[in-house]
Amino acid sequence: MSDASLLLDNVTLARGGRTVLDGVSLELPERRVGLIGNNGSGKSSLVRLLNGLLTADAGRVVVHGLDAKEQAAELPRKVGFIFQNPDHQIIFPTVAEEIAFSLEQAGLPRREAAREAVPALARFGREHWAERPVHALSEGEKQFLCIIAVLVMEPAVIVLDEPFSSLDLPTRRRLEALIAGLPQQVVLVAHELDAFAAYERVVWLHEGRVAMDGAPAEVVAAYRVFAESLG
Amino acid sequence: MISLYLPGRTWLHAIPAGWKLIALALVSLTVAPFDSLPLMAGLVLATLALYASLGRAALAQVALLRPMWPLFLILLALHAWNGDVLLGLVVCLRILAMVLLANAVTMTTRMDAMMDAVEPLLRPLALFGVAPRAVALAVALMIRLIPLLFALWESLNESYRARTGRRGGWRLLAPFCIQTLRLSHHTAEALAARGGVPRGSRR
Repeated sequence: MSDASLLLDNVTLARGGRTVLDGVSLELPERRVGLIGNNGSGKSSLVRLLNGLLTADAGRVVVHGLDAKEQAAELPRKVGFIFQNPDHQIIFPTVAEEIAFSLEQAGLPRREAAREAVPALARFGREHWAERPVHALSEGEKQFLCIIAVLVMEPAVIVLDEPFSSLDLPTRRRLEALIAGLPQQVVLVAHELDAFAAYERVVWLHEGRVAMDGAPAEVVAAYRVFAESLG
Repeated sequence: MISLYLPGRTWLHAIPAGWKLIALALVSLTVAPFDSLPLMAGLVLATLALYASLGRAALAQVALLRPMWPLFLILLALHAWNGDVLLGLVVCLRILAMVLLANAVTMTTRMDAMMDAVEPLLRPLALFGVAPRAVALAVALMIRLIPLLFALWESLNESYRARTGRRGGWRLLAPFCIQTLRLSHHTAEALAARGGVPRGSRR
């Protein structure tokens, strides 16, 4: 196993009395990994294991060399997590505070984190946002703020759990371009199947198990046929 | 009182949070014992002048006081009942001035600056095992979530009206509470994803 990979070894997870992941084993060293499947297939649960938001009932999860159970406290800095709804993710009333909080979580002392927030925004060309109240940002801007807030923690992996759901097409394309340029390993959960074209690997989950795993063209095509057959 | 942070930099933004809070406390203590109508009217006018000096966006926030009118009417009616309308007017003007002044502080003070100023006062809480930083974070979250809660209420009201043609009113309370809990669950998860509530008061 290389150090820069995500490893799930026979992972089982139950939530609310239902088995959501059932003996899943995956080794993911690729820099761009897509995760597809119907609602309730276990995608969101799987990615939550990577960040320590959920802990496997059985089996082992290793993230870039960190054991998700033994070293859970270190995971939030290693794995940045972008949620579906930016409004659920933004904690502070102004942009600068939101960024300062991330810097503080990354280990900077508080005063320094507050000072560094504007330079951090400037690295993304958004220093003029510093004093803006977050409720005044558009949906796309909020999602971008969430990503900046995660990137300033300098994680090794970025997980995006259905980040496109509330975005219009131009905003979604901009976000896709931004993701494409990230140096980090990216795990993207999405229903927008054309988003995976340039990915190295796509995993299709069905009822808590890996249904298919491989190059995006084949996996997406197979899933499309299956999904259409249900409709 | 719903106060929203005023973007930009006015002269009031530049004054340290602690000073503004002390000034607010001093003014409210000073005017409390007096029942003079001209004094209170003067205070309200001075407060409005303060808003005007902060620009148009600040003056627009005065409109947020609209929900307080019923309270003022009730206060006036109660005092009229007691035969002292003038005193009622003085009480209303005092409340108006204090709410406006408090709002002027919150709309020109960043949450973290406010918390830095208030945290020493919260420090005794540590005796009971409550981290002052956690309290400060909770307050920041509350301010952040207020506009979201309004949007949530509006969307519930819209769904109700779309199917009934009537306003939801009190019937929305139970779904509102449930949705609020869901929202807090999501926010807690996002907070955990970034490493959770900072422990201790590292500076």
